[in-house]
Amino acid sequence: MSGISEMLTFLALPFIASVVFVLIHAYLGVHVLRRKIVFADLALAQLSALGASVAFANGYDVTSPAGFAYAFVFTAIGAALLTLTRNLARSVSQEAVVGILYVVATAATILVVDRSPLGAEHVKKILVGNIVTVDVAVIAKFAALYAVIGLLHWWVRRPLLSLSSERGPEGRSRLEVWSWDFVFYLSFGIVVTSSVATAGVLLVFSLLIVPAVIGFTFSDKLSFVLLIAWSAGIAASAAGLACSYAFDLPTGATMVTALAGFLVLASLSKVFIVVDAERRRARLQRAAQTAVVAAFVCILVSSMWLIINPSGDQPLLALLERATGLGSATFLSSSEGDTYESAARDIVRFQDEVDRLDAMEKSARYQGPPLADDEIRRIASYQQTFNEMTRGEQFVRNVLQTKARTRERWIIGLPAAIIAIAGLGLSTRWFSRRRRGEGDDHSTYDSAEV
Amino acid sequence: MRAGLRSLVIAAALLAAASASAALRVVATTTDLAALTTAVGGDLVIVESIVPAGIDAEAFESRPGDLDKLRQADLVVRIGLGYDFWLDALVVRVGNKRIMRGGDAYVDASAGIPLLEIRGQGVVNEGGHAHGVGNPHYWLDPEYAIIITASIAEALVRRAPEHRDRIVANRERFLAELRTRLQKWSEALAPYAGATFIAYHNSWPYFARRFRLNVVGYIEPKEGVAPSPAHLARLISLARTSQVKAILHEPYEPEETSRFMAQKLGVPMLKLAISVGSMPDARDYLALFDYNVATVANALRARNP
Repeated sequence: MSGISEMLTFLALPFIASVVFVLIHAYLGVHVLRRKIVFADLALAQLSALGASVAFANGYDVTSPAGFAYAFVFTAIGAALLTLTRNLARSVSQEAVVGILYVVATAATILVVDRSPLGAEHVKKILVGNIVTVDVAVIAKFAALYAVIGLLHWWVRRPLLSLSSERGPEGRSRLEVWSWDFVFYLSFGIVVTSSVATAGVLLVFSLLIVPAVIGFTFSDKLSFVLLIAWSAGIAASAAGLACSYAFDLPTGATMVTALAGFLVLASLSKVFIVVDAERRRARLQRAAQTAVVAAFVCILVSSMWLIINPSGDQPLLALLERATGLGSATFLSSSEGDTYESAARDIVRFQDEVDRLDAMEKSARYQGPPLADDEIRRIASYQQTFNEMTRGEQFVRNVLQTKARTRERWIIGLPAAIIAIAGLGLSTRWFSRRRRGEGDDHSTYDSAEV
Repeated sequence: MRAGLRSLVIAAALLAAASASAALRVVATTTDLAALTTAVGGDLVIVESIVPAGIDAEAFESRPGDLDKLRQADLVVRIGLGYDFWLDALVVRVGNKRIMRGGDAYVDASAGIPLLEIRGQGVVNEGGHAHGVGNPHYWLDPEYAIIITASIAEALVRRAPEHRDRIVANRERFLAELRTRLQKWSEALAPYAGATFIAYHNSWPYFARRFRLNVVGYIEPKEGVAPSPAHLARLISLARTSQVKAILHEPYEPEETSRFMAQKLGVPMLKLAISVGSMPDARDYLALFDYNVATVANALRARNP
């Protein structure tokens, strides 16, 4: 119980922050997807980072008004460049320009930071970001900023949406197109600049693109797309934050993975659930068939790998050993097995010794009589010895495991390969016969309909 | 004609004299080793460091200019222990055997240092960094400067035996000053023996041992991987039970998490100089400890006067 309440106190603010982020980013993501410039956010964010680095190199603090002004000017330059390159789209994809912009801005940032090394942590911050440590003031600032930008976008939604649509700028003067594009890119740049500093590049990119993609999976109508994107984004953020806490994982990366997981779920449900019964049955069948064939192929490949190179890494076999509890020791003689097991025990014992010495030395740093340098040296050499012995036992285990695997290669590898080949042959034949049968069904069905 | 010949002879003599008394060019990998080499070598040496001040040496990317520095080097001084691992590749490129491991112009300053936290490779390392052969931040124990300067002085004498006495005298003068200050530093921190801290990385074991401080946990357990909220929650409860007095922060790391922890715990975040030049006040090796000791002592005094 205390665990859950502690988790809530810890994750409430990050969750509110991610809701705020999802609301504006999923909406902008719709634009970005329609304009086919998915990496524009990275380019603009990187340009603002470049601005911040230049400000730092000129002696301004990044959070000062001057620092903000530099970042803003660089973002505006990026917005202008993206605006002007819309017409390139006929000969070269705008995505190429976006990519070049991103790479050049990154390289320039590295060069600037090289001249003023103390600014390096800001670049690092933008790459990693940490949404866990967001505070109320920052969230309030974001909410106000995004509300203003959201209102602005709602107010001028007509030109903005039509310029992002497939039809493009038909019937508008070039100046009009440019000014609306600039408004879009500039507001977009301001949003991602602010969010990247808190959440990091990876998470912002995912929040921008993934919910919008999920939305478009199910609908083309803007209001539906947005509703789906927002709910998916918020649900995925909540799941990501909870997993990050429960499984002790870095938050940003976990949230990105959770968003991707939701995308997979959405595509699966689009394929299997949001269809009529007959199609669902057919698709489920095909999926099951593919899974069976894939399983046999996996077994075949890994049994061949075991036969060819028994001393190499055997991921599937290791998984099987772990699942059944029948380790390599099963294929060793009893004395070999004893050595194998005692090596494992010794590894634990030696590492316990290393830890014990570590703890002893650590507590002597600040309490009791201090350890003399020579005592420290003695501890260090003991630890080194134990580490060497650990490596030795590890080596023994590796040798014995290879020995066992060399035996398994014929006892397990060969039968598994034969079963897999037989299974593959039988299942593909059976499936193709069934499909032919179904095809006949369909043709009769079609002719009846005619 | 004769005047021309005479001037040539004089020029040649001058050149010879200049090259005889020419300073030794020393390349140190970090600013700390550069500072200690300057202290020992005085005006007998021209010291350059490869990693600029304030840059994380473990994340350093070398550049062509570094090859140039090494090509002209009469002596190379490194931290060792994998901390400045990139030096090996650079030295191989330069191809000068004397500045390679085992050469007479090569100093691994970690030789003879009583190392802390020797952990095997492949064992989960909760301390941060890939510290395979012990924690490499040993220059942050000022008393170890005695050992480090001994290694440097020995190598300098090897390269310039005629200046032996001056090198030894330089070192003695530096160590005398170091001992006086060490006395002051220890006195300044003595009242706070056992004070508890949380650090961003595991960079302070040697500093902690010398001044009897207790670093109970680290914010970023793995280099470059943002800490998980569960880790931070554990750290906060650990910090509360062990009554942590401050957060120690390396200047080249992002401040957000450290500031967040400081806020949650109601303790100050102290940016300490991890190397010479990484904070404006840490101008040389002694000033680095002046600054770090004063920062820690002031923070602790403010908390329990």
